[in-house]
Amino acid sequence: MTAASVLKPPAAPFGTAPRFPAGIRLVWLYLRTRRVPTGILALAGCGAVLGAALHWHWEFNSGPYAQQVPMIIEAGAAAVIAVTAQSPFGEAERATGRWLPYLRLLVAVALAGLAILALQLGAVGESLNDGVLVLARNVIGFTGLGLACSLVTGGLLAWTLPLGYMLFCQYALLELWRAPWAWPVRPPADRGAWICASAVFAAGLLLFTVRGPRTQLSDNG
Amino acid sequence: MSVVSAPPSRSALPRLALPRSARVLGLEFKRNAVPYVLPLLAAAFYFNTVRTADGYPPVWTLRASTVPNDMLFEFSVFAAGLAAWAGSREGRRKTVDLVATTPRAAWARLTVALAGTLCWLLLAFLAGVAVVYVQTALQATWGGPPLWPVFVGAAGVTVVTVIGFTAGVFFPGRFTAPLVAILVVVINQVGFREALNTTTGGGSSLLPSSPASAPYALLSPSTSSPLVDAGVYYHIAPDVAITQVMFMGGIAVAVFGVLGLAPELRDLASVFSRRPPRAVFARSDGWLLRAVTVILIACGVAASWTAFALAGTARLDAVTGEWEIPALHYGASDQPVPYAQDCTAGSAFQVCVHPAFGFYLSDLAAVLEPVGAEIAGLPGAPVRAEEVASVSGGLQVMSGTSGNPPVFQFTAEHVGNLFGEFHGYDPVAWREGFQQGLLNDFLGGQSLGSGPVPVPLDAAQQAVENGLLTAIGSPPSSTFGGMNMNGKVTTPQTAAEVSAATQRFATLSAGARHAWLASHLTALRAGTITVAQIP
Repeated sequence: MTAASVLKPPAAPFGTAPRFPAGIRLVWLYLRTRRVPTGILALAGCGAVLGAALHWHWEFNSGPYAQQVPMIIEAGAAAVIAVTAQSPFGEAERATGRWLPYLRLLVAVALAGLAILALQLGAVGESLNDGVLVLARNVIGFTGLGLACSLVTGGLLAWTLPLGYMLFCQYALLELWRAPWAWPVRPPADRGAWICASAVFAAGLLLFTVRGPRTQLSDNG
Repeated sequence: MSVVSAPPSRSALPRLALPRSARVLGLEFKRNAVPYVLPLLAAAFYFNTVRTADGYPPVWTLRASTVPNDMLFEFSVFAAGLAAWAGSREGRRKTVDLVATTPRAAWARLTVALAGTLCWLLLAFLAGVAVVYVQTALQATWGGPPLWPVFVGAAGVTVVTVIGFTAGVFFPGRFTAPLVAILVVVINQVGFREALNTTTGGGSSLLPSSPASAPYALLSPSTSSPLVDAGVYYHIAPDVAITQVMFMGGIAVAVFGVLGLAPELRDLASVFSRRPPRAVFARSDGWLLRAVTVILIACGVAASWTAFALAGTARLDAVTGEWEIPALHYGASDQPVPYAQDCTAGSAFQVCVHPAFGFYLSDLAAVLEPVGAEIAGLPGAPVRAEEVASVSGGLQVMSGTSGNPPVFQFTAEHVGNLFGEFHGYDPVAWREGFQQGLLNDFLGGQSLGSGPVPVPLDAAQQAVENGLLTAIGSPPSSTFGGMNMNGKVTTPQTAAEVSAATQRFATLSAGARHAWLASHLTALRAGTITVAQIP
């Protein structure tokens, strides 16, 4: 036996040869461990519920009440994204390489975009109060809160903060609050509300990318 | 000293023996996730419920309406989500097979986890109710805490918790908790919309109108806030509340029964299960348990169905104007509640209110007395103001001046042309509202009764009212400009004329104003005086 034969990688068993480049396989494994495919189905479900709410007029046509049901569903979509932050491997995964933060960043951004797309598709042909701009602003703001919350609670309970903030915004909506940090109650083109929502999203995303969600030894997804 | 004579160690002393189930419940209580979310829930409770209740006058029925309307909404989110989290524990931790070997039935194990979560949530809920009720008790001047809203709220928290927990047991994924929470809140909102349709269908009416989907609307615990004096002049019949508790309790019992069949249903639902249904049920926890679960499901469905059917028979009460369900209605609750009015003493213009609104009496007297003094002695001028019920004979009562000597009668909902004056206590707007209300009725010749909201004052009447208000140091009415008056929208020119006439009239001496009113009041009420004729 020579050193050359040791250094040579063993032949892959028949039928198990990699079919995809390593990068794609890495991304796919990341998505599967975060249950992202199921999350996408859940986002599609949120879009369907929004479409049903608009079609069968579960919400009011105008006035402050009109934004209530869409806001609840937007918070739900953000909660779904936040929950995908959970890793089944916990601490051990952090020592595996340098790609993990990039994967977190890309997947979170992609899911936020998919959530906006799914909800907008659900609202196609219906009259969505305040339109897609408020929808997008709410989704990114709530998602930022959820990602930030995952640093404290872990991914599985990261839905609590977006939903808690949504409850507060329901009150702010009916009381006609106008503070920019209560962005879900502001008009579509309000600059302050966009700045606040974007800042929350950016901060949540940055922290989530760099630090990752809180992990425990007992994490098993 | 021998081993035998040695005293037993402390650990060998008999300990307080708790029942095993109580110890397990204690462990569940200690390890539950609900306490970690309590700060968030408390913040939502403060903003949504406490602040809303603060905006209402301290009348028990009105303040208590925040329990099913606001508290239940915010508790539903966390109750459903956290219960789903607790219910999904075995599946999430992949211990289903491990715990399946324990001697107790799966239902007993799940019941303890459910009870721990439910205890926390009900404790938090009752603590919130205590905050609202203690705050109201410190401010209210009459009446006592209504309990039915608390029962409805507790039933709502219970049913949402049981549904969330069961969803967690059957679908133990990471997405179950947020999705169940969202679905529960959406259902809550849909019910709220249906319920609100029962009060917005009547145009300007504040009373309920028959909705298209009455049963669903009535079974929704979230609804619009009641009339300000609801429960003050007549008792609130518990018919609808009983139906709601029965409906939600029935669902909770039925879903709890389904939980008893969780292992079997999970096996049946599994795509990998190749066992026939008989084999699945044969390995379950015994016929007695299955019989109990089936009975629970049947009882729950029967209770909910009965409640739904009862809600379908609801009709508007001919006396109180509220919903009544004949099969549950107790006729004695339609009798007026006896009370003695709170009145001011020692002033020429007496003001009387129901004792439930006694906290406003001195403010109200301070607001109305200057107006009363300004018009004293004129034909039809009231010598007294008193509050009456806002609903009589099932119809809403509009305020007005009637009787001999004339008495200005207002309700908690209608004062002159204005309504909802008692609903939020904005000191400035509130003061203006009552002064304008008294003058509206006096100058417009409105008498007390049922019917549509009185027509607004014409330009001359408005100018005189504004002049009188300015004379006593109050701001004039700001609701005139642009108002649709007798089918015509007032133009800026008319508004300017009214403003000029107001200034002229206000600068007259009190005697001159009084003398002009004494000679022109009949014509002014008849609408034959123009703005230009006002001195």
